[in-house]
Amino acid sequence: MKEFSYERPESLDEALRVLAASGPEVEILAGGTDLVIAMRDRYRQPKVVVDLKRIAELYPTLTWSGDTLTVSATATMTEVVNDPGINEHFPALAEAAFVVGSVQIRNRATLLGNICNGSPAADTAPPLLAYEAVIVVAGPGGKRRVPINDFIVGPGKTDLQESELAIALELTTPSRMMGSAYERMTRRKGTDLASVTLCATVDDAGVTQVAFGSVGPRAFLRTDETGVLADPNAVKDAKANVFENIFADASPSVRSMRASPDYRHAMLRVLGARAVGRATKRLQELQGVS
Amino acid sequence: MTSNTYVGSSPNRVGGRDRVTGAQRYVADIHLVDELHAKLVTINESKARIISIDTSKAEQVPGVRLVMTADDLPKPMPRFGPQFQDRPIIAVDTVNYHGEPVAAVAADTKEAAEEGAALVEVEYEVLPNVHTIAAALAPEAPLVQDPSLRVGEPCADTNIKTEIHFGWGDISDVEADADFIIEREYEFPMVTHFAIEPHAFIAQPDGDELNVWSTIQHPFQLQKTLARLLSIPLSKMRVFAPDPGGGFGGKQHPKLEPLLCYMALKAGRPVRLVMSLEETFQAVRRPSTRVRVRTGLTNDGILVFQDIETNYLIGAYVDIADRVASKSSYLAAGPYKVPVVKIIGRTILSNTAPTTAFRGFGVPQITWARESTLDEAAIELGIDRLEIRRRNLPEKGYEFVPGDTPVDGEWMQTVDKAADLIGWSTPLPEGHGRGIALGLKSGPTTGLSYSTVRLLGDGSAIVFSGTSDMGQGARTVFSQIVAQEMGIPLENVNIVMGDTGTVPYDQQTSASRSTVLMGTSVYRACKDIHAKVKAMAAKIHDVDESEIEVDGGGVRIAGEDLPIMDVVTAGLGPLGGEVIGNGEMRKDKVPGHPLSGSAAFFEFNCTAIEAKVDDETGEIQILRHVTVGDVGTALNPQQVQGQDDGAAIMGLGHSLMEGYILDEEGRTRNLGAIDYRIPTSKDLPIELISASIENRDGPGPYGVKGVSEGSLLCTAPAVGAAVRDATGLIIRDLPLTPQRVWEAMREQER
Amino acid sequence: MSETIQIETTINGRDWAFEVASNHTLLDVLRDQIGLTGTKECCVVGECGACTVIVDGIPMNSCLMLAVEIDGSDVTSVEGLASDGHLNALQQAFLDLSAPQCGFCIPGQLMSAHALLQSNPDPTIEDVHEGLGGNLCRCAGYLQITEAVLVAAKAGKE
Repeated sequence: MKEFSYERPESLDEALRVLAASGPEVEILAGGTDLVIAMRDRYRQPKVVVDLKRIAELYPTLTWSGDTLTVSATATMTEVVNDPGINEHFPALAEAAFVVGSVQIRNRATLLGNICNGSPAADTAPPLLAYEAVIVVAGPGGKRRVPINDFIVGPGKTDLQESELAIALELTTPSRMMGSAYERMTRRKGTDLASVTLCATVDDAGVTQVAFGSVGPRAFLRTDETGVLADPNAVKDAKANVFENIFADASPSVRSMRASPDYRHAMLRVLGARAVGRATKRLQELQGVS
Repeated sequence: MTSNTYVGSSPNRVGGRDRVTGAQRYVADIHLVDELHAKLVTINESKARIISIDTSKAEQVPGVRLVMTADDLPKPMPRFGPQFQDRPIIAVDTVNYHGEPVAAVAADTKEAAEEGAALVEVEYEVLPNVHTIAAALAPEAPLVQDPSLRVGEPCADTNIKTEIHFGWGDISDVEADADFIIEREYEFPMVTHFAIEPHAFIAQPDGDELNVWSTIQHPFQLQKTLARLLSIPLSKMRVFAPDPGGGFGGKQHPKLEPLLCYMALKAGRPVRLVMSLEETFQAVRRPSTRVRVRTGLTNDGILVFQDIETNYLIGAYVDIADRVASKSSYLAAGPYKVPVVKIIGRTILSNTAPTTAFRGFGVPQITWARESTLDEAAIELGIDRLEIRRRNLPEKGYEFVPGDTPVDGEWMQTVDKAADLIGWSTPLPEGHGRGIALGLKSGPTTGLSYSTVRLLGDGSAIVFSGTSDMGQGARTVFSQIVAQEMGIPLENVNIVMGDTGTVPYDQQTSASRSTVLMGTSVYRACKDIHAKVKAMAAKIHDVDESEIEVDGGGVRIAGEDLPIMDVVTAGLGPLGGEVIGNGEMRKDKVPGHPLSGSAAFFEFNCTAIEAKVDDETGEIQILRHVTVGDVGTALNPQQVQGQDDGAAIMGLGHSLMEGYILDEEGRTRNLGAIDYRIPTSKDLPIELISASIENRDGPGPYGVKGVSEGSLLCTAPAVGAAVRDATGLIIRDLPLTPQRVWEAMREQER
Repeated sequence: MSETIQIETTINGRDWAFEVASNHTLLDVLRDQIGLTGTKECCVVGECGACTVIVDGIPMNSCLMLAVEIDGSDVTSVEGLASDGHLNALQQAFLDLSAPQCGFCIPGQLMSAHALLQSNPDPTIEDVHEGLGGNLCRCAGYLQITEAVLVAAKAGKE
């Protein structure tokens, strides 16, 4: 690992000043589970590393305001997994966070870092897309809010501009009653990077959303408003047709070591059906208790 | 008279306390004053001609003291290897596999060495490479090794290193007797040891002596190699071998120690190198294989002949791979009565990581093919898959390889126990499948183990043994033997290992040999002490030695029992001192024997698996995994179980998930822990049962046989059989990843 | 341009104040600077868990943490488990059940297990497999390790 200047700002203003002064060769350190590997392997060689963990404004990490949960940039996967509110309102996110790495990784890795790192295989991207998370970006010109679908650009790329910092993401509880579930495919049951990640939501109007990743340059969000996927009585072929449309943009890499394109395409459909099934069940449970 | 306090007991692991406090010192934990840190320089090609290496920028990095390339080494380049002297100290003229070091930097700090290594500029020309069996055997294939290195070898102008032929009888004589002939091909991937401790080395010049610390399993073979290369007397070439953090065969033979020695000598300072996990992947792997099995049977499932041909894809340098091939091929026909056997084994050089010993020593590869083919035959003949094995299983004493070591155990007991534990005859739930397979591996065929036991004046004892305790628990079992034979508490036994300057010679730690061979040596050292105690007692009590018996229970004279230490204390007299016993266990070479010697014992295993398969994703779930070994005597049942469980799970690794992924140019893409998957605690069978058959019929002390490898010999065919039983899928390549199973399901639907 | 930072930290109950290089990980500093070599280095990508230590009560991969990040923190490594030469219940259970074979992964396994029992004193087998799922053991002594954690949990309750 090359030497660098380590900065540990204690306020957001200070952080933004450091970023502005550091130019492009700067890296943000939150959990560091991707960054430290990249620096050790020398494919990132920053002059400055800015550690976010002492910024006062980033605590507490999880705060509710009305129907909106703000998850700060320092919230770890473990915090996400253990939070009762997330488990109640955004269960697919809790499920996705739970399968990120091992306990040790989840204790360090942050939810926002998972998105900012820009990996197409990021486990939490599909649920955050499906829950329509908004990324809060702070910069020299103030704050802006970016829907996650616009924030995620491509492999290693986000909408974050130079001197900007993603400080939080916001999740608003769905306005309609909604069931959701997360599924993934891996090579072993133990910790692994996924060859398919997928989140489905089904609401009480019959609208189904499917967000999926690891099968293209970025995770995608698609919606089925026909009601076919959510209909337990719909015939298999009808559902298969809807899935064909939903997954039309999947373009898994032939170079991947984790699974072949054929397998990924097939697993999208398998996991899609499973996630929709579980999401539907959850919706029914919600409807049952209401 | 002997009380069996320690035989068959499971005292706490000797060295266990240091392993739970962090005090255990592995090579990487040892630091020497004034040491330099080394970093290897490699290029990202599997075969290339080195045009030039510019070290000038690296040498300017503050703290860099030395950059070594082939130019700094003697000409012609010194070479070494346990079978063939083909491995250079460092790449010379060409790089022959992905990751072969072309230069090495030594610096005051790790960072400076790393920075220097990044600045070494290598100019090279990429050359055509071969990294598959087909490519290596193609008529115009580029040669991996220059024929000038292979003078006198019959296949020197090809990539075939050696072709071996074993067998008995002539198939053409019996082919007509076979009602049914089946021929199949099975493949086994490249897998690596992945010891959690990466290899590490330190070399330290010390006047006219040279000290080397290594994670080596065979310190005395390393000592010989270094002494020869550097023209140093053995007495001044000292190898320290702290307990390895896992070996599994990958640490048997010298790798980079010679380079480190040359660097240390040139720098005049100690030089250390701790390899990265990625580098270990490029240093050691198991030979991958393609095995063709042609089996002839009667309609009753009785074997008529076996015709087995194995291609072993080995690395660019042979290491011990030729021995892996010959030893595993020799028993390719397995633990069966087969009237006629024809075996061909072929080692094939390739531009891939050097292949070496790996737990099971080639047997898992062949067993995957033979047992799976036998299953296919049983299914086609309509014979129960357990029954077909029982029908061909030889009884104890049967020479299943004519003229060689006969069956040394009640093998049917092992098979029956495994069948019973898996519930072979009970109905299976819908969607479940069962498989059963047999594995057989020869124990050591030669060996030489010396030991010394010092019985000290206070009744404690020190054992000097050249075995490496890499987790199998050698320290514990030797302590048990000495405590048993001296009649002293185990806590009073100390074991000294891992220093060629202190302990007497031991050939090696491999092939599940140490409890049998070194154990016998230690036992004999105890007997040597018994003889001396007997002489003391005879003198003290003025009786004839013939009237005295000595064993672990004490000294018996005329019906009276005395503690050994009473006699020793009296015998040593006022000056005190100690009683020293020496032990030797020699298993000499047998002239003319294809393996240089017959098996000291067999590791015989039966593995049975119950599994189910997700019919949408192809994921296999192992529900019950039974492994039963014929161990003779479980000297330490807890450690036997640890070895068996561990080998079984390692077997699941190569069965289900492990394998190198090479690119078109023979570069390993999945170096390191992220994309090379091994089993975790979440990948275990729902139920894993390791059991033993004990008839006290082994050649070691108290009737022990070797353990440690048995449980992975036939894991893959048992898993494959269970999958086939559950789904009807026949898959002839490993690992059985979800994707591979899914592809087979899709093929089946067509 | 060696960037060093002065930090203060508590390691295994002892207060330390020293300078660390910005580009050194916690693993580097524990092993090479302080000489606590019980924490092991293997994969350095957070997959094997051999380097696991506990920082402010939470198990972390020390290979993925910059040393400077422990400024003001309380760190426990395997050397901090025993007190006055007495093994704790977890270490004793590991020893009694022969959980260590080669032993190289054991410090990391112990730290994960220790943290698990701190937060979940009564774990199920699945909890143990999950809690120690980030610690590879190539000797594959997983059954003995799991059993040892369960035995230690039981001992802790008595």
